[in-house]
Amino acid sequence: MKKTTFFLVFAVLFAGCFILSHTASAANTIKVGIVDTFSGPASTYTLDVLDGFKLAIEKINAKGGVLGKKIEYTTRDEKFKPDIGAAMAKELVLKENVDILMGTINSGTALAVSEFARKEKIPFFVTYSKSEKIIGEKGHRYVFNMNENTEMAGRAAAVALAKKPFVKYWIAGDDYEYGHAIADAVWNNLKRLNPKVQQVGQSWWKVGEPDLTPYITQIMAAKPDFIIVATGGASMVNFQKAAKATGLSQKIPFYQHTGTELGTLLSQGKDAPEGVYGTSNFLFYFPDTPANKAFVDEFQKAYKRYPKASAIVGYMTGQFIAEGFKKAGKVDKEAFINALEGLKIDSPVGPLAIRACDHQLELPTYFGITKKDTKYPFLVSTENQIIAPKDYMPTCEEVLKHRKK
Amino acid sequence: MVQSILGGKGRVWGYGGIIVLILLPLFLPRFYIYLTSLILLYGLFATSLNFALGYGGIYQFHHAVFYGVGAYGAALVITKTGLSPWLGFIVGPLASALLSFVMGLICIRLSKLYFGMLQISLGSLVWAVIYRWYGLTGGDDGIHGIPMPDIIATPNSAYYFTLIVTAASLFVIHRMIKSPFGSALQGVRDNAVRSEMIGVNVKRHQLAALVIAGFFAGVSGALFVVVDTTVFPDMLFWTFSMEVMIMCLLGGWFTFMGPMLGAALIVLLRTFISTFTVYWALFLGLILMFVIFFLPDGVLGFFQKKMKQKN
Amino acid sequence: MDFIYSFISPGFLSQILVGLSRTVILFIVASGLSLILGVLRIPNVFHGSLYMIGAFMSYTISVAFGGGDTGFWLALIGAPIGVALISLVIERGLFQYLYEREHLMLILFTFAISLVFGDLVKLVWGAEYKSVPVPQVFQGFVSLFGGLPFPKYNTFLLFMGPVVAFALWLLVTKTKMGKISQAAAVDREMVGAVGINVSWVFATVFVIGCLLAGLGGALVAPTVSVTLGMDHSLIMEGFLIVIIGGLGNIWGALLGALIFGLTQSLGILIWPQFGIVFPYCAVIVVLLIRPTGLLKSTW
Repeated sequence: MKKTTFFLVFAVLFAGCFILSHTASAANTIKVGIVDTFSGPASTYTLDVLDGFKLAIEKINAKGGVLGKKIEYTTRDEKFKPDIGAAMAKELVLKENVDILMGTINSGTALAVSEFARKEKIPFFVTYSKSEKIIGEKGHRYVFNMNENTEMAGRAAAVALAKKPFVKYWIAGDDYEYGHAIADAVWNNLKRLNPKVQQVGQSWWKVGEPDLTPYITQIMAAKPDFIIVATGGASMVNFQKAAKATGLSQKIPFYQHTGTELGTLLSQGKDAPEGVYGTSNFLFYFPDTPANKAFVDEFQKAYKRYPKASAIVGYMTGQFIAEGFKKAGKVDKEAFINALEGLKIDSPVGPLAIRACDHQLELPTYFGITKKDTKYPFLVSTENQIIAPKDYMPTCEEVLKHRKK
Repeated sequence: MVQSILGGKGRVWGYGGIIVLILLPLFLPRFYIYLTSLILLYGLFATSLNFALGYGGIYQFHHAVFYGVGAYGAALVITKTGLSPWLGFIVGPLASALLSFVMGLICIRLSKLYFGMLQISLGSLVWAVIYRWYGLTGGDDGIHGIPMPDIIATPNSAYYFTLIVTAASLFVIHRMIKSPFGSALQGVRDNAVRSEMIGVNVKRHQLAALVIAGFFAGVSGALFVVVDTTVFPDMLFWTFSMEVMIMCLLGGWFTFMGPMLGAALIVLLRTFISTFTVYWALFLGLILMFVIFFLPDGVLGFFQKKMKQKN
Repeated sequence: MDFIYSFISPGFLSQILVGLSRTVILFIVASGLSLILGVLRIPNVFHGSLYMIGAFMSYTISVAFGGGDTGFWLALIGAPIGVALISLVIERGLFQYLYEREHLMLILFTFAISLVFGDLVKLVWGAEYKSVPVPQVFQGFVSLFGGLPFPKYNTFLLFMGPVVAFALWLLVTKTKMGKISQAAAVDREMVGAVGINVSWVFATVFVIGCLLAGLGGALVAPTVSVTLGMDHSLIMEGFLIVIIGGLGNIWGALLGALIFGLTQSLGILIWPQFGIVFPYCAVIVVLLIRPTGLLKSTW
């Protein structure tokens, strides 16, 4: 009997501690919970999302916050594991009582968290996952996509490539969802815009494949006019290195989404191949406007490095959260979402709007070619062509037809 | 059942524990109900591994495959066919058991580490298939928002469902360990040659143990679908198999409730360390190294030993 | 018809050469893994982490010496030594107390270390991708049959493979150290009984095995982007190679690496879209025919 009593007391104590540790959040802040991959190769991008976001909310808080409340944030590292990421999102909402969720580069996690956000009616800002399912097939009222998705990137590239004289195309890429999605998007749209193009072959390698030389020599033997390279993350660099070592980049031109972006080019220094076609949604040196310069200077001052494309995603997410609440006039999630729909605010790359129908941020895309530049210790994107959102964004009907119900 | 878990006083602890678990949703916030559900199903998963590994002495290195196949089996039946979700919860574990039988047939010829290595490579192939087969499995994105029957769709009812299934499964596993089959299996583990001499078919016993372990791993996988309504290829990645072995190790091999305790420790550690640092894997690794060094029998094994010494 | 054409095309021979240069990296890493498995019986999960650390160290050393040719050569020597020192600390500090434990404990212990290393590498080197420049002499490519290019750096890899294999052969068969470790692999009690300090034999073998992982990392660094997570994909391949070769047999590791490297590069030629499945199919075929690997395993 003594044991039982002891056990019950113990159990109650234990439960009590649990409940006590479950502190209610102070009502005078707006809490943002960020679940993202802050380790592994993906962190090259996610840390810029985070720093861009920090930059934005520090500015907002310095001006007294929004509606008299400061914006607070807390981060969780999901290590690129969707099950852990989903559990962390639950922890953030149910235990930390965050008002808004934000993240993640991993599409699997983003979709899982989005599902949870829908059930819990918590606004969720997707930063840097590029799956088109997020606002398409699996889209709902509570999810916002703050960067380009594969369909958008593919269309933008197709718009530019359709005007080029290439006919025989080869498709190659990382053998996972993102690789196939981006390759399909470029190819299908290219074929639609320029029916003359033909596909001569494909190669796919496993994610994380270190040496791409065997694939490249095989592609070169087939002599296509142009290669669509659907790589992501560290593989972007691996492909460019192999392309340089085999001389591919001098013989056959190829395109990579984000191939001209700082994240891909920075680490290679002056050794990156010239003449790579690429698209990016942000370049810190282009367009050379005062707004862009001001943002880059601020970012450089705060973090001692140049911002990558992901920095603007984090920065704009912070801005939109603040402006959304300001427009709503109260801390109410439904009013906040209504306020965000169609909201247009100034950004370093000109005014940006969140489309009301599918909650996609309308971003411009820059199509360019890599080239050495004496001003920087790495290659930059030149001959940049601005592709405006209206020229390449899928229409509302096209996006919404994927949604069931 | 509980008697053998913690020695003579086990019954009291066991019943007390069950009552507390039943009453839990009355006073715990939702997040902890979710965590407890996770602990229960991970615990069942780890217990199923321990059945093969601790009691059977079989080096089942890639157990997560069966967990994942159970989850995917259930998820696919629910999302791709119009059949009843309840059928999915049966198909998933059966698919795991079948796969376990096939992989067992191939691997059982080998012993110890060789078995483990072959098993891990075959398991990686299963992972690769699920990872690559976009049309069916959704590739690396996984399947999300799997609809559940209304009766288990709320967090509390999902919790009770998990609790009931886990308790029933643990009961069955425990009965198996105490059965003649279980004794024979442990005999094989301790001395295969001697068992063979006295007429025990070693390979057949091991194969049966593998199928049972695979089945209950599949059950826990299906439970994950109930609790989280999602599946991912990561569920059958080899690193997850390592984590489950760690749960067994942390709680204690050769003890029945050890893996459950280990699962609780891992889930709680992961949740609470990650709230204050992004370097949670570092701390987890250090804690593990510490445990392997100083508590080779696991936490529960350590206390059992202490108790035995006292007696 | 494409299928048959691909075999007689000039691409075939060049594809073999490319496959062989991949084999070299796989062999160097897997032979270290196999050595440790054979003698110490440790399935070393953090072998991949050491490969990653080797690549990161080679970056640091290369940058410290201006990122030029000197940097590269110093990195090629320095990075493996750095990795060897780390492994020496781990062996003397931790492993030497654990040899009597079960394999299972050891495999989990090495996994725990790989978790720690994963985060430590991030703490030390940060999250940014790193890149090691190819030295001047190996930049560009040579033209082979039918004008197909072959990177010069890969010719250097083709040269390094036999060098490492020969050095290993000398070490294992010609030195006292090697003979003792071979004996210890078969029967460690016996070796201890004749008065040899087994503990230090083990330490040496462990360090040499890890040095090979570091060397593999340093060699691969100029051809890839050095990132966190590069350990994960390699370690599985390493284990598969060791299995099909025969546990603990370094020539088996060579054979396994050859099978892996060649089936992969030729598979790409035959069926580009599914090139990745060929090595795994080869593994299954080998294991179905010879369940304990192609060559005699030491256990």
